[in-house]
Amino acid sequence: MGMVRHHAYTLLLQGQDILSFINGLSTNQVDGACTTVFTNRAAKIVDVCEVIPVGSHVALVGYEPSKSTVIAHLAERILGQSISLTDISELNDVFLGTDDESCPEDTTLHQSHFGTMYIIPVKHRWEATWTEEDWTEHRIRNLIPYHGHEITSKVHPLACGLGDLVHPQKGCYIGQEVLTRMRSRGKQGHRLVKRSNPVEKATTVGANESLMLERIQ
Amino acid sequence: MDCGTCETAPVIQVHAPDVVDVELTLTEKATDMLEDAFGDDRSHALLVGVLSGGCSGYMYDLQIVESTETPCQELNIKGFRVLVPTASSHLLDGIEIDYVDRLMGGGFKINNPNASASCGCGESFS
Repeated sequence: MGMVRHHAYTLLLQGQDILSFINGLSTNQVDGACTTVFTNRAAKIVDVCEVIPVGSHVALVGYEPSKSTVIAHLAERILGQSISLTDISELNDVFLGTDDESCPEDTTLHQSHFGTMYIIPVKHRWEATWTEEDWTEHRIRNLIPYHGHEITSKVHPLACGLGDLVHPQKGCYIGQEVLTRMRSRGKQGHRLVKRSNPVEKATTVGANESLMLERIQ
Repeated sequence: MDCGTCETAPVIQVHAPDVVDVELTLTEKATDMLEDAFGDDRSHALLVGVLSGGCSGYMYDLQIVESTETPCQELNIKGFRVLVPTASSHLLDGIEIDYVDRLMGGGFKINNPNASASCGCGESFS
């Protein structure tokens, strides 16, 4: 099918108990490779990140415009733990797409909530095979939310199609009380839906259909 | 993924907060409960720490320890050794440790003037 360039940053976290550190700050159960959401106290999205163990380290791949916010979010909570952050964004290109694309041998493949993620060293000068329009149509067809469209700092994960990334039974994390209350009372406000054009207040506009965050009556 | 050349990638400098000389107080009730817990043996210490996580971003961590490898400030309060990790000192200066005696949600409780908010169970703060 294809792959599109993901506007991503990649941080390498080194130190002890990295997965439990991330687990304590995000919505999903983080005990290995997964997609998780960092939220603030109001449960609004800080960033949606890929957690990818790399040997004894962990790579965190997120959306480039959120990089400085995420670094600040993590850094102020390190509290003397032996955790260091290295920015390896310049060394790798990140792509999202389907799982049947050819890629160099030293590519890291990761099953993300958004599709298959390809992290390819920049030395390969790899190019996307999809245009932004291809990616948009793929997202609409498969009801995949994306940064800057459905996923913004103004919404919480349940309202924009990221409910699968909010683990129902894990312990406390930032924003957990708010999300748990919404779920238990059945009041998440909005949900991600696909509608035929024209769509008022569409978050992603396709050729025939669009995505929107619809208020739940 | 290229992380084999990490030495050439920039390590992000994490700004460590200033270390402050911690002052903390124990209420009468908390003192009574610590006396019950420690007895006459004062070789152990009360470690008052902070962990990242929880509903509000930070969680209190109270432990009775003999010693710790974590760099700490050692205080002597009402005859008890109290250890406060230096990395968390800015979050714990001025706290009052209380003990709440009730069936649900009882136990040691920390009143923290540095906390702008705390979660329902009181274990987490920001």
